[in-house]
Amino acid sequence: MNTLVNYVRSLFLVELFRGMGVTGRYLFRGKFTLEYPEERAPQSPRFRGLHAQRRYPNGEERCIACKLCEATCPALAITIEAAPREDGQRRTTRYDIDLFKCIFCGFCEESCPVDAIVESRIYEYHFENREDAVMTKSKLLELGEKYEAQLAADRAVQAAYR
Amino acid sequence: MANEVCFRTLHRDRSWTLDVYESEGGYEALKKVLAGDWSPAEVVDLVKRSGLRGRGGAGFPTGIKWSFISRDMPGDKYIVCNSDEGEPGTFKDRDILRYNPHALIEGMIIAGYVIDAVAGYNYIRGEFWEPYERFEAALDEARQAGYLGKDILGSGYDYDLHTHLGAGAYICGEETALLESIEGKKGQPRFKPPFPAQFGLFGRPTIINNTESLASIPDILRQGADWFRELGVENSGGSKLFSVSGNVNRPGNFEVPLGTPFAELLEMAGGVTKGRKLKAVIPGGSSAPVIPGDQMMDLNMDYDSIQNAGSMLGSGAVIVMDDSNCMVKVLDRMSYFYHEESCGQCTPCREGTGWLYRVVHRIETGRGRQEDLALLDDVAARIAGRTICALGDAAAMPVQGMLKHYRDEFQYHIDHKKCMVGAGG
Amino acid sequence: MSDKKVTIEVDGRKLEATAGQMLIEVTDAAGIEVPRFCYHKKLSIAANCRMCLVEVEKAPKPLPACATPVMDGMVVKTRSPLAIQAQQGTMEFLLINHPLDCPICDQGGECELQDVAIGYGDDASRYVEVKRVVKDEDIGPLIETEMTRCIHCTRCVRFGAEIAGIRELGATGRGEHMRIGTYVGTTVTSEMSGNVIDLCPVGALTAKPSRYQARAWELTQTNAIAPHDSVGSNVHLHLRRGQVMRAVPADNEAINETWISDRDRFAYQGLSAGDRATQPLVKENGGWRPIEWSDALALAVEKLRDARAEANALAAPHATLEELFLLRKLMAGLDAPSLDYRLRQADFRATSAVPGYGLSIADIERLDAALLVGSNLRKDLPIINHRLRKAALNGGDVMVLNPVDYEFNYPLGGALITSPSNMVASLAGIARAVGVSADGAIGELIDGAAENDETNRLAARLTAADKAWVAVGALAEAHPDYAVLQAIASAIAEASGAVFGFLPMASNSVGAALVGCVPSDGGLDAVQQLSQPGKTSILLDIEPAQDCLNPAQAMRTLDETAFVIAISSFASDSLKACADLILPMAAFAETSGTFINGEGVWQRFDGCVRPLGEARPGWKILRVLGTMLELDGFDYESPAQVHDEVRAMIGDRGIDNSLDDPGDVEPWRPKGMQRIGDVPIYRIDALTRRATALQQTGEPVSALACINAALAKRLRIADRGQVKVGQGGKSVVMAVRVSERVPNDTVWCPAAVDGSELLGPQIGDITLEKA
Repeated sequence: MNTLVNYVRSLFLVELFRGMGVTGRYLFRGKFTLEYPEERAPQSPRFRGLHAQRRYPNGEERCIACKLCEATCPALAITIEAAPREDGQRRTTRYDIDLFKCIFCGFCEESCPVDAIVESRIYEYHFENREDAVMTKSKLLELGEKYEAQLAADRAVQAAYR
Repeated sequence: MANEVCFRTLHRDRSWTLDVYESEGGYEALKKVLAGDWSPAEVVDLVKRSGLRGRGGAGFPTGIKWSFISRDMPGDKYIVCNSDEGEPGTFKDRDILRYNPHALIEGMIIAGYVIDAVAGYNYIRGEFWEPYERFEAALDEARQAGYLGKDILGSGYDYDLHTHLGAGAYICGEETALLESIEGKKGQPRFKPPFPAQFGLFGRPTIINNTESLASIPDILRQGADWFRELGVENSGGSKLFSVSGNVNRPGNFEVPLGTPFAELLEMAGGVTKGRKLKAVIPGGSSAPVIPGDQMMDLNMDYDSIQNAGSMLGSGAVIVMDDSNCMVKVLDRMSYFYHEESCGQCTPCREGTGWLYRVVHRIETGRGRQEDLALLDDVAARIAGRTICALGDAAAMPVQGMLKHYRDEFQYHIDHKKCMVGAGG
Repeated sequence: MSDKKVTIEVDGRKLEATAGQMLIEVTDAAGIEVPRFCYHKKLSIAANCRMCLVEVEKAPKPLPACATPVMDGMVVKTRSPLAIQAQQGTMEFLLINHPLDCPICDQGGECELQDVAIGYGDDASRYVEVKRVVKDEDIGPLIETEMTRCIHCTRCVRFGAEIAGIRELGATGRGEHMRIGTYVGTTVTSEMSGNVIDLCPVGALTAKPSRYQARAWELTQTNAIAPHDSVGSNVHLHLRRGQVMRAVPADNEAINETWISDRDRFAYQGLSAGDRATQPLVKENGGWRPIEWSDALALAVEKLRDARAEANALAAPHATLEELFLLRKLMAGLDAPSLDYRLRQADFRATSAVPGYGLSIADIERLDAALLVGSNLRKDLPIINHRLRKAALNGGDVMVLNPVDYEFNYPLGGALITSPSNMVASLAGIARAVGVSADGAIGELIDGAAENDETNRLAARLTAADKAWVAVGALAEAHPDYAVLQAIASAIAEASGAVFGFLPMASNSVGAALVGCVPSDGGLDAVQQLSQPGKTSILLDIEPAQDCLNPAQAMRTLDETAFVIAISSFASDSLKACADLILPMAAFAETSGTFINGEGVWQRFDGCVRPLGEARPGWKILRVLGTMLELDGFDYESPAQVHDEVRAMIGDRGIDNSLDDPGDVEPWRPKGMQRIGDVPIYRIDALTRRATALQQTGEPVSALACINAALAKRLRIADRGQVKVGQGGKSVVMAVRVSERVPNDTVWCPAAVDGSELLGPQIGDITLEKA
């Protein structure tokens, strides 16, 4: 009996038409793929992209060199040196994130008591030299300044969940 | 039946002079003691039997305190009188110093002789300038008359008294803080034990008594322990000075036998002002929990009755409040006082008094929150019994007392951001 | 206190205790944790933090474990609901006014408040009011204050009163307004002040030199022995990325208890000084050129071969035992007898074989009397002074014979302050009063000495004491009549039944003596080596301009010496001026080794940091020199091998304070004014001199002349002006202070400070005139 059914199915290409049916259905449905780079996927405010360091609105850098991010970083990607600044405040003299080591887990951002180190929405970047993979303090601050509006908006949206 | 002990000479002109005091039987007890009519042990026994309890606030039996130190202990011993009358509402010692300083001097000499002390100190509150001068003048008189100094009245006993003027800290009324202050240190209570009887002034055995207690001694000896004890009631021997203040027509000091009904005392003070309704009474100085007026009218002024009513007789400062008083405001004032006067040594009191004050003050100024009353209860409970000295308890008890009896007023303040009592808040 | 044993029950466990012990001592010993802030085992009990409240059965309220004496049958519950509730209550109170600035607080991660808050604190605060803010005081270059964080435990206040002996910190104000401060805004000057950093349970007092530089979790702790004095304090070094970030005390009851001096704590800063020697350098045509190690060693070997038996060697007494031993062995291999470590000793007529304290450090606090001859003990050996202070507070008499009326932090039982030249006569006076009967020249000196009230009083106290100590200090060592002083002091000790001892300054003075770093037959001692130029000299970790008795002469002699090989951690300008070859040596913390302290205790330590640059441990340098010189027995593979060999060589020899007769006692007679040149506390060795924070503390760091008012008046010199001080033909212009601590016709002019390198011997003739 089974043999007979199978024979009939293969004779009339039932499986093929069923498969074509699926294909046909998706042919007329909306597209899932994006035409990157012309098109972009939407990003969550929790997106964890390239790091940045923020400043307060008065221009003062937020980072207070508490080194919690360095301590929490599972990939040991962060290196910090600290010393008293001229006015006696606790500040970093060096703040490096090695992007080759970083796994973008976002722990640094979570551990930061002053919202200084953040992960921005930037995911398009490249290096031409190995040393470029190290995000130095000046590079981080520069990014922070550039995207402050977006960064602040994202933090504000997330404030209720933290 | 008033003015029988410390104020016995009050009816006389210039009652503070030696002549007047002597003419009323003053220094007779001392003479007898020095003459050996009673041995030191017998004096202590007399004081014990008289039922005299410390008049400074704690109510510890004076005779028992004296018996902790014997004459035979080697080295220097001291007598200290606590006239640092800082408890808000109390002003009885001031009047003893002003009107009957010799009773205190005699009492201190007798106490000194009993334990063979080398010197006595009277620690007088810094603001008491007039009493201080009176007392100094009385000391001069006593020295002239040979009651103080070398070989007192030919007995071979050398002893002198010194006054030490405080500098305005409430905490120096605490006996060990007072000792520290006399020693020239910061007025901070010591951890007890050891008690002053073992490690007192300059590390030596020391008896420290309230002014009123010491001033009562001569009459106890002169008129007998039984006479004194029977003035008062069971467990509260003798008479006591009550400093009645607040909303009364005739505020002042009244020396009445312990056990006198409060209603009688209020009558002596001229009753509540403007015939208003009695709202509440703080029976023993600001550290004592408040007692509602109705309940108070049925109470007698003795240690046990007041304690059974949930408060304490303390220093005998009776603060009378009529129904125009806002209890939140009252507590605001009181907790500010304890916040200001905490010595800062131990944590619960240093941090807790400020917390209490800030919360009460917030309620008083209409910024109270619903959880504040529970918070006050809890903070007060965390201070009470956790500190080195009694100031922590003293700061916590008024809060606990007020919240127990007048919680609704506090709740009203929080709910309506204003005062229930028209005159207040 | 009685030794009666009692049994108490804590949390269901039966514990044995001594009657009168405080509850917390018993629980601590049993490993039962009771939270505390104000309690510290070495300080008096304050019972003010109320954190250690525990429930005691039959007590109406919770009692502080730190102030509750144990009683037989006591039942204690440390974890009952009442106890926990009390502890949580205190914790909440402590936190309401404590700032939440843990992220910027240096104590973060090692904070007692944080630790206890984890156990007893709530996760959110019920306190919504304004927090207290306290203005900070600047209390000096060593301690950073952040008094808003203070929880008023008063440990620092009690430390000042009870341990340091100067009440520099105190509490002012009442209640919430109580502040811990200096009252008058002055610097905290105690030589042990750094200990308050460890005592402070929060971040109110932290170390200023390492401020903000490291977090507790980044640091690795290693053990070390402090190399700056003969106490050999045990320390922990805290390292971060191969760098010493700070030093803290390690407990050792027999030596430093739980304290260390500020010198031991902060001198590590010198490790990162700019003039560290990081590569071999050779002098060529007056300039310096870096060379390869192999060339440098070959050059050194060539010069040593040239000199052979005429080679000289001087070693710093803070070099390790292994280094000193290898130097000794190297010199022996060359048949060169001229070797010495006693760089500040003036008189070599007779001296003890192995000078040391003569008694254990712990025994010092049990002394009934002590006579110090020529010692600024408080600054020289702070820990020994602390022990002696305990003895003094227990009723012991500490007496001094000093050329300067030095400050002590306890009342002295007697003090004879006299000019250096008169010290011999004064000491002889004491000896006579004690009743010394000696033969020979010393006997004559004593018999001819004058007694006076003070000498008699000192002598009487010394004789009456049950346990007494006569100790000869660092200033006596620099005295031209050191041998005579020793002989008389020793005789006094013998006659009065006291222990005789020395107060050696350096961390390995005893070790140097034990391995025999002294001239052998016909060899030259330090003074001789530094007064006659030779062929080849080895300097082991020495800066001749600071580390020698007579720096001017030392520099001149070394300059004229044909070839000077300096094995040194630092290539300072003064060393470069006189050396011809610098072999960079690993410094403290970079090398392993052994120190033998003044008591005779051997303490080994390991290197924990890589030597800077191309520097190599001293023992390796000396070993290679030995091998290249083809000497026998230099094929060591580890410092442990060297150590074992030293151990076997020394055997059970230890401190030996017995003396030879000095023979000639013709005393030194000054021609005019005399110099008193002591070594200030923070100029003692190359490392300390480079610790920047210590140099800012107000202790002498640059040339200074102190004279008394009488002399100032005679020479018409005004206080705080400038004077010209001359010694040995050279003169230096320096600041002058008028002080009554200095006797007549003497000039207190510290050695080893900037500007003193042009002067002559530490104690000797000096001229002074208005600049």
